[in-house]
Amino acid sequence: MLATLLFVSLLVFVVVRVLPGDPAILMLGIDASPDTAARLRASMGLDRPLPVQYFEWIGGALRGNLGRSIQYDVPVAGLILSRLSVTIPLTLMAAALMAFAAVPLGVYAATRHRRWGDYLTMTLSQLGIAVPAFWAGLLLVLLFSVRLGWFASGGFDGWGQGVGAALKSLLLPAVALGLFQFAVLARTTRSAVLEVLREEYVKTARAKGVSERAVLFRHALRNAMIPILTVAGIQLGQLMAGSIILESVFYLPGLGRLALGAISARDLPVVQGVVLFVASVIVMVNAAVDVLYGLLDPRIRYE
Amino acid sequence: MKMLRGLVLTLLALLVATAPPVVAPAVAQGSLAVQVPAEPPGLDLTASPASAIAAVVHYNVQECLVKVDKNGKLVPWLAERWYTTDSKNYTFFLKKGVRFHNGRELRAADVKFVLERAANPETKHPFQKRYEIIREIIVKDDYTVSITLKDVNANFLLEMARQGSVIYPREAVDTLKSAPMGTGPFTVADWVRGDRIVLTKNKDYHVKGLPHLDKVTFRFIPDPNSALAALKSGDIDVSAFGLGPENVVDLKKDPRFQVILGDTTNDVILAMNNSKKPYSDKRVRLAITHAINKEEVLKGAMFGLGRILGSNVDPLNPYFVDMSKAVPYDPARAKKLLAEAGYPNGFDAVLRVSPQYYYTVRTGEVLVSQLAKVGVKVKIEQIEWGQWLSQVWKEANYDLTIIGHAEPWDIVNYANPNYYFRWDNKDFQALYQESEQTVDDKKRREQFARLQKMMADEAPAVWLFMHPRLVVAKKGVTGIWKDLPISSLDLSEVAWQK
Repeated sequence: MLATLLFVSLLVFVVVRVLPGDPAILMLGIDASPDTAARLRASMGLDRPLPVQYFEWIGGALRGNLGRSIQYDVPVAGLILSRLSVTIPLTLMAAALMAFAAVPLGVYAATRHRRWGDYLTMTLSQLGIAVPAFWAGLLLVLLFSVRLGWFASGGFDGWGQGVGAALKSLLLPAVALGLFQFAVLARTTRSAVLEVLREEYVKTARAKGVSERAVLFRHALRNAMIPILTVAGIQLGQLMAGSIILESVFYLPGLGRLALGAISARDLPVVQGVVLFVASVIVMVNAAVDVLYGLLDPRIRYE
Repeated sequence: MKMLRGLVLTLLALLVATAPPVVAPAVAQGSLAVQVPAEPPGLDLTASPASAIAAVVHYNVQECLVKVDKNGKLVPWLAERWYTTDSKNYTFFLKKGVRFHNGRELRAADVKFVLERAANPETKHPFQKRYEIIREIIVKDDYTVSITLKDVNANFLLEMARQGSVIYPREAVDTLKSAPMGTGPFTVADWVRGDRIVLTKNKDYHVKGLPHLDKVTFRFIPDPNSALAALKSGDIDVSAFGLGPENVVDLKKDPRFQVILGDTTNDVILAMNNSKKPYSDKRVRLAITHAINKEEVLKGAMFGLGRILGSNVDPLNPYFVDMSKAVPYDPARAKKLLAEAGYPNGFDAVLRVSPQYYYTVRTGEVLVSQLAKVGVKVKIEQIEWGQWLSQVWKEANYDLTIIGHAEPWDIVNYANPNYYFRWDNKDFQALYQESEQTVDDKKRREQFARLQKMMADEAPAVWLFMHPRLVVAKKGVTGIWKDLPISSLDLSEVAWQK
């Protein structure tokens, strides 16, 4: 796990440095003199040898110090933390919408195999896969903000305005964000459950007179959960990546927009910090999924 | 039956989608929400030249000795008057009773501190070179400061009105980046990074009766579609820079909004690399200019909004001469010039543009088809803004590019042979130098007319059009500047109609 993170840290460090574009010029603009730019580069420490810069950065990161943002001149760690108050609830809401809608719908479609309920569900999920998230976001805004006036068109006034109001301003982006993943998960669930329903032990359970409900939830779904969980774990990481686009459409001050702005401004410490943070989260989610496998299927053991 | 139910549901959904829009919610009379496309990279005007900072801070939070007013005129501001006989020795008399946001009165020593700091290379002021001309600053008394220049400089008063010359209290120098302090009509109350900046009224403002607004919220909305939705749903009151001409055409028909179209100092140009063949040949540059139908460019890329240019002096400049007809659209002449230069069949060229600015790609697409008609085959290469800055602007590694030059008085760039146009014309450089040191207005006007004619004759670039000011505001908002003679979004006189 640590090796993965070290590799990611080295990769992002090298990549942001080979990108063409000079943070000092991006900051000073096209009227700056070369001397001023050189002095600014030196004050950012960008004129030192790359290994020195890397070890200083990674050494700081291990102690929780990710450096200072070039643009904002505040510590990167604090900046990331402040953005998490938007991105984490947004991702979790999208994940919750995804899971609570997709799994029951997938199960439903599997039980109505080759009947109209199945077709309708699959058409819906096909639509979810086909519609790009940013476009879905814009359509939601047009309907619920511009036409109906039920929601704000974007922005986030912080948690100080109350939990209800804060969640309300994240609802539309969460729906748009979760739509694609919902569709994927619904299809995965359907095929996983369908496959299990064809197993011999399901037939046996039915023959023993177990109720259809118990067959479905105690026997089928539990065994179908392994592939579903695998996909859902991967999707959580994708939801975080997807937030970059949705946070721009809904102008939310989240981690995605922070990363996007930092890339265009070549705010190297912020880019490095965000990538390292997101990589850590994904590694941890994967670890959690591995643990859940063990809980769901007692045959899976970790030495 | 079940199919029918689905059909009815779909129809219902469509009906909701096409229902008439709701009336925008009522807004508190004293507050205004303004959309800007980019978040400022810090708020320190003495650390970065970004126009996104100027839009929020310049003239709203921090002010200068002199001000460029809405008509582009230089007017006394923190200095109530000044005195000079030779444009080399200036004495400024400060307005009395002007207080910084911390309550302390503005004194001559603050002016000295601010300007000396700007001129000091260690400070890394983005416009440091412009202050090198100052030889000495003497504080005569608390309200009088005299500035001696090393040489006569006709632009010095303008310099004192620009964003790099804002006056701030010495004790607040360390917090300029996050909480800039000044004498302006508003103070920075809150900055939620990534989301908004809130300004509140300076109750102690030195201009009586201003500002009208109690609170201004700048919201950073990068996407034009989101900006449009925010405007239509009533979440913002004004869109200042974010919308394109296509949105404006649509909003003009909407009775809830007013569209403010005006002039700016933003000249959109097709720059050529004058140090590279074939662009080093004047005949080729003139041929390219003759091959371009600017009317068509303006229609195709800007829905006809904006003004056609013929040199790099914008219509808001007092010395502007209309040169738009100087090198007219004439493809036959273009072909002839190309043949004379040894390119009877034209040549291949790469146009490097950054989609960061929406107009660059659109304009490029129109130019590709126009230039193809005279045999110049242009390939568009889109690059990211950071790459554009390093490849095109810094290293001049390009054939052609399109970009808007928004700085007022940026004709100075053509006198710099190292600027990315790489245009090295000694006569132009000498005449520009002379104009900088000419104090007599009539003579200077004449020099500027000659400079503009020289540019048209030599064609170091093709000046396409002035990007218009496109502001959309809710009906009832008054006091927004029509033109934009300087990159600032002065809200001091903005109010809601009673």
